[in-house]
Amino acid sequence: MEGAVSLFSSDHKDVARRYLWSGLGFLLFGGLLALLIRWQWAWPGQPVPGLAWALPESRGALTPPAYTAVFTMHGLIMIFFAVTPLLFGALGHFVLPLAIGARGLAFPRLSTLGYQVYAVGGVLVLASFAVRLGPASAGWTAYPPLSTPAFTPGLGQTLVTVAVLCAAASAFLYGLNFVVTVVRCRAPGMTWGRLPLTVWGLFFASVLNVLFVPVLAAATALLLMDRLLGTQFFMAGAAAVGGGGDPVVYQHLFWLFGHPEVYILILPAWGMVGDFVAFFSRKPAHGYRLTAGAMGTVTALSGLVYAHHLFTSGMSPVLGRAFMVLTLLISLPAEVMFLNWLMTLWRGSVRLTAPMLAALGAMVVFGLGGITGLALGSVATDVPLHGTLWVVGHFHLTMGAASFLGVFAGLYFWFPKMFGRAMHEGLAKAHVLSSAVLFLGVFGGQLAAGYAGQLRRLYDPYQYTYLKHLLPLNQWTTAFAFLLGAAQVLFVVNLVWTLWRGRVAEPNPWQVGTLEWTCAPSPPPDGNFASVPVVLHGPHALSQPEVLARLGRDWIGQAEPLPDAAVAEPATVDAKCADIGRMPTVGGIT
Amino acid sequence: MKAQPVTSGSTGTPPGAWTLALPEDASAHGHRIDALLAWSHRFDAVLAAVVLGWLVLAVWRFRGAKRAAPDGGTRRSRAWVLSLALGAFVVVDGTLLLGSEGYLRDVLWNFHVPAEDPRTVRIEINAHQWSWEARHAGEDGRFGTPDDVVTWNDLRVPVGVPVWVQLVSTDVVHGFSLPHFRVKLDAIPGRVNQTWFQAAREGTWEVACFQHCGTSHYKMRGVLQAMSPASYAAWLREAGRQAVQAYDADDSAARWGWEWKAP
Repeated sequence: MEGAVSLFSSDHKDVARRYLWSGLGFLLFGGLLALLIRWQWAWPGQPVPGLAWALPESRGALTPPAYTAVFTMHGLIMIFFAVTPLLFGALGHFVLPLAIGARGLAFPRLSTLGYQVYAVGGVLVLASFAVRLGPASAGWTAYPPLSTPAFTPGLGQTLVTVAVLCAAASAFLYGLNFVVTVVRCRAPGMTWGRLPLTVWGLFFASVLNVLFVPVLAAATALLLMDRLLGTQFFMAGAAAVGGGGDPVVYQHLFWLFGHPEVYILILPAWGMVGDFVAFFSRKPAHGYRLTAGAMGTVTALSGLVYAHHLFTSGMSPVLGRAFMVLTLLISLPAEVMFLNWLMTLWRGSVRLTAPMLAALGAMVVFGLGGITGLALGSVATDVPLHGTLWVVGHFHLTMGAASFLGVFAGLYFWFPKMFGRAMHEGLAKAHVLSSAVLFLGVFGGQLAAGYAGQLRRLYDPYQYTYLKHLLPLNQWTTAFAFLLGAAQVLFVVNLVWTLWRGRVAEPNPWQVGTLEWTCAPSPPPDGNFASVPVVLHGPHALSQPEVLARLGRDWIGQAEPLPDAAVAEPATVDAKCADIGRMPTVGGIT
Repeated sequence: MKAQPVTSGSTGTPPGAWTLALPEDASAHGHRIDALLAWSHRFDAVLAAVVLGWLVLAVWRFRGAKRAAPDGGTRRSRAWVLSLALGAFVVVDGTLLLGSEGYLRDVLWNFHVPAEDPRTVRIEINAHQWSWEARHAGEDGRFGTPDDVVTWNDLRVPVGVPVWVQLVSTDVVHGFSLPHFRVKLDAIPGRVNQTWFQAAREGTWEVACFQHCGTSHYKMRGVLQAMSPASYAAWLREAGRQAVQAYDADDSAARWGWEWKAP
């Protein structure tokens, strides 16, 4: 299990590790690309130190074509190859079966296939940097006609289009797998009302994957046909010759996927925040049903708000008004969920562990990202902000910073379970705290620049007189971005050191009751559980008076029966799972 | 750029980089958007203060507390959550919705104003990689006649009258924006989009592309001059006269305009 990662095992934990390393690799790559963009806005056209090998003709300075490729690939890589794979591929694959008491995913070979398809996409993305004219450069949205061969002729654009199709296929496969697993493979007693909120988040997001990723696949496939086969689905003028092609159709298809995608990226993080806030306040989540219901409501609405991305496209006023109302409506369930998180802290016993700090950080950045989105949902206020860095700051706070902090909350939380070794708490805390603060600096700076009118994707914003005064602001923002990049060293050092000679983790270091911690050793064996647990409690059975009285601790395993008051025998780790009898508790590698 | 420097009109002093300020408003109606945005900022500030304050207070007060409440809230506390959320939603989203709706009804999607005002100036704009080609209907007020005045990256409008823009693109998707007039509209191949605005005072302002349209997207910059009605009329007369002189009936590429589309 430890040691050489099996490349073909279909065990969900092995697949999760493959996604973890690939996702972290792409996160690093996408982050470096982001730093290049930031460099360009702070010192436009100046040579980037250390980049001369890649761009010898300009001595390392970004040229306009290189810059368009860099921001295009930053977006695509972060969304399709870093954050989604980390949330679903790594954390989702690892946690979901364990947390519901399943021996694996419903379709293990499908999850292996999903990773392989994703890996092919990843290779294509990397390969696209090596071909003539470079990788894709039409923006991550790849609006036609710009993304058609007439305007972006390079092979790279085609390779990346295929790579997006691969990522979509993989997302569809694990989405389907997760949905079926949650519906069909829950342990006895794991009712819907006893699912950890993380599972709810992953489940809802997986439903969205199944529903809306095919829309992306369809749009991308048609675009690919326009690129390769000479069709004209998205070419204007085709209508004049009877073909009916229209670039706006692509925009609608793209955002019909694209807006649910931002919820796909944030729902798992919401779920984790809900769980971690409860775990580390040592009390049940406030309004569990309301929170799960709120996530479900957001899921249900997520496909009905997308056209707020197209408020300036000249859509009919009826549509514009309808999408404005629906968009504003989605803030109501989000507020309910957020207030529940806050209420969970209240009257709890708060423990500021690394996962908790990351969860609180995610709350803060998500909260600020959420309220800065309100002005984008109403048509009139959207007009001055549309297409500016305000939008960029807003969605980076939500699906960038909040999802990132969600990923690291989950990683710090489940790392002992994944690898049997505990990461260094101090380094982990420093990492999530500094990241959260610097995220606010970077994306706060972008909000300010966008409010002042700075448009997105400008190679040199200072071509515009009305943006010239923003140079110092952008330089400060860039400084924050580089510090943010540097802060990630804290994670890398911690990761390498922990894997190399980290402390062997206790079986249940966080003292919580969910199945992965109380019914399986760290790391769990093939098949996860010696015998399938029978679930008796909800996920947050913390600080229950009868448990305190009879077990002398403030938590109880989800599958752990409460002994009769008469039994005086102190409970041991071995007895925490109703159905598996005695099992070794030594975690992992030793 | 002509003689006038392209800066924010009134003083020429750009706002400080650290002030959260929109580009200066030179339009007759933009102040309504700005006021609504200011309200949204007040709401944002209040919400952020309440949420952050609550979070910090809860962590500070309950950190490592001896006991934790064993329940997931009471019926009462859940009712509080719902009513607080509903209250914030009604106030914040309600204000934005109503304010926005008023602007849409009166200005943005109300083409009765430019359609019914006899002074309205109509401009056809053709966006392409990477410039703004504008067609002003000369003195005859009709498009497709020899006195059409075609300019590149140089829009002229009179102050104080509605300016009605119809917009196309001949290659990729572009975005026509006048940051100082709170105007944004996509230029999409295959369709004619339209919007209107009204300049409140004279000055020279920038036209910017807000949709990524290729490598030189950042250079797709134009200039808009808001002129007094008298000097606008003088410019149009002289430019129209030159256009008639230079008119070449055989140059079909120069005749890209269209019959004005009724709203």
